[in-house]
Amino acid sequence: MAHQAHAYHMVDPSPWPLTGAIAALLMTSGLAIWFHFHSTTLMTLGLILLLLTMYQWWRDIIREGTFQGHHTPPVQKGLRYGMILFITSEVFFFLGFFWAFYHSSLAPTPELGGCWPPTGITPLDPFEVPLLNTAVLLASGVTVTWAHHSIMEGERKQAIQSLALTILLGLYFTALQAMEYYEAPFTIADGVYGSTFFVATGFHGLHVIIGSTFLAVCLLRQIQYHFTSEHHFGFEAAAWYWHFVDVVWLFLYVSIYWWGS
Amino acid sequence: MFRHFLTLQQVSRRQISSTVRRQLVNKVPDKQKLFQESNGMPVHLKGGVGDAVLYRATMGLTVLGTAYVIYELVKAALPQKKD
Repeated sequence: MAHQAHAYHMVDPSPWPLTGAIAALLMTSGLAIWFHFHSTTLMTLGLILLLLTMYQWWRDIIREGTFQGHHTPPVQKGLRYGMILFITSEVFFFLGFFWAFYHSSLAPTPELGGCWPPTGITPLDPFEVPLLNTAVLLASGVTVTWAHHSIMEGERKQAIQSLALTILLGLYFTALQAMEYYEAPFTIADGVYGSTFFVATGFHGLHVIIGSTFLAVCLLRQIQYHFTSEHHFGFEAAAWYWHFVDVVWLFLYVSIYWWGS
Repeated sequence: MFRHFLTLQQVSRRQISSTVRRQLVNKVPDKQKLFQESNGMPVHLKGGVGDAVLYRATMGLTVLGTAYVIYELVKAALPQKKD
């Protein structure tokens, strides 16, 4: 490692791309087998393999960066580009579902009663739990920024507290949304309203869970002294992802919950 | 993470209180030494025996899973009609 004449990272050979690819194969084939033959074994095996791959791959990246010093400034720049590009791809993912929502809601068909919300659908009141959810996520955006400044200023205890608070707010959002799902007067099977509502908010909820998990890993790393005031890209990536999740919610709230009611 | 609590000679400054949470000591320098050791091990096995166990378990599931998926897909593609 001290023998290279450049600042870039030539990674050690790794088995995780292969195990990850096989996990993807098992999950997709497993889904088909579940649909046709009612057996979940293959899909479950794929899921376990995916979790093992993610744990070990990201563990290795932490080792390479924090313990081996491979994340030099040019390498970190590449990681930043990578995270930005990934989040951009996720933006396009959600754009598709918003397209579907606006396609159906801007020109409601006669089958729906020519109106939006469609005849027979009682939408959720946007000024009850959905508004609380908006406040919760906006507050979590503030606390994650507080955490970032704490890390940059070397305030260890404050960083831990504000990061923990961010995660708690994320969990609170998830709990509130789960309750809303349970209590909702309509289901995913209720025409195009139900489909667009639950697919868009459902994928958003999944991203809240992913983001909360990412932040929780950062909390563990902050407790274990991995981050320095100058170098803490893992946390920055988690914060970017969290802000993205927050912005998607704002669009969901304004479009589906508010305008769509 | 908690395996190193037995190395008492390194923790002269650490206080263990029965009423308050234990102060975590910074183990990053120890980890840096472990993972920068010149032993030719790839990063995914460099942490020790635990790495090898987890790797073997993962690869075992990968191989078994590959065989199983080929079996299930072949079975699904060539249905055996029952009389």
